[in-house]
Amino acid sequence: MVQVSFYSLLRLLLKRETLALPWTPGLDVRQLLTRVQAEIPTPFLDRLLDADGTLIPGTIILVDRHNIHHLAGLATPIPDGATVALFPPGAGG
Amino acid sequence: MSTTPAQRYARQLPVWGEQRQRRLAQGTVLVAGVGGLGATVAQLLARAGVGRLYLVDEGRVDWPDLNRQTLYGEGDVGRAKIDVAVARLAAINSKVEVIPLSGRIDEAFVFPAGVEVVVDCLDNWPSRFSLHRASPVGGWFVHGGVQGEQGQVLTLKVGTSQPLERIFAGLAQASEPLPVTPDGAAIIAGLMTNEIFALLGGAPKLLDRILVVGLADLHWTFLEV
Repeated sequence: MVQVSFYSLLRLLLKRETLALPWTPGLDVRQLLTRVQAEIPTPFLDRLLDADGTLIPGTIILVDRHNIHHLAGLATPIPDGATVALFPPGAGG
Repeated sequence: MSTTPAQRYARQLPVWGEQRQRRLAQGTVLVAGVGGLGATVAQLLARAGVGRLYLVDEGRVDWPDLNRQTLYGEGDVGRAKIDVAVARLAAINSKVEVIPLSGRIDEAFVFPAGVEVVVDCLDNWPSRFSLHRASPVGGWFVHGGVQGEQGQVLTLKVGTSQPLERIFAGLAQASEPLPVTPDGAAIIAGLMTNEIFALLGGAPKLLDRILVVGLADLHWTFLEV
């Protein structure tokens, strides 16, 4: 299984904190996001990805505590049992 | 007019005890950014009796600051924030040493000796990342951010924890000023200060753990990093 956690405005938008999905071999972040969207009626992928499918700055994605920017981006493989966090942090001070 | 520590801190001593109060008095904290978060953090640290505060900020007080930047008033508009902050903090607690630092926060920023806690109250990611990169190895780094009715607080041990830049990689700063409410800034600043008190007591609560606060529905969650 893969546990997906939604934080801050994403949690508010989707009205849920977590979603558990079955793991499949070869699963990566992009595929996971698509599967999450298929499970949740509220559209949210357009907040994360632009028309070209590139990650939009504003939300960090952590796979087992590590930002995918320092892994393989949206192609980051997701191991079975992983926790994936989607978090749009507050930027002001 | 003067007073004793026992009188000044009479309302917090029953909670913390004299030993912890003495520890606060020996503490040295650097507050980077004296705006929405930093003005309140610095004020609470001074009121609590933290011994030495370094302040860094290049900005001037502007009208949109007054909804949340608790050290400033209408008569301060146009003045350098750091000058006003130093004067206000001295008026609040003259026993606290408040030291303004000039200079931009970047890799060349030189930390004064003895800083135990660096507090990130900045308003943009590039400066935050520079602040963390320049922070003394082995010290504590408390990050806070707020936007709209959401915010977060995180503690890092510099040199041991993941660098701030790795955790928040890929974020771009908005070109427009961000929305921030008075209560949002005050609550996140209060939580940051609570964590600083915990750090000075040797027991961080948010080490490598982001506290994510949502005020729209009074919700908070934790995110391990």
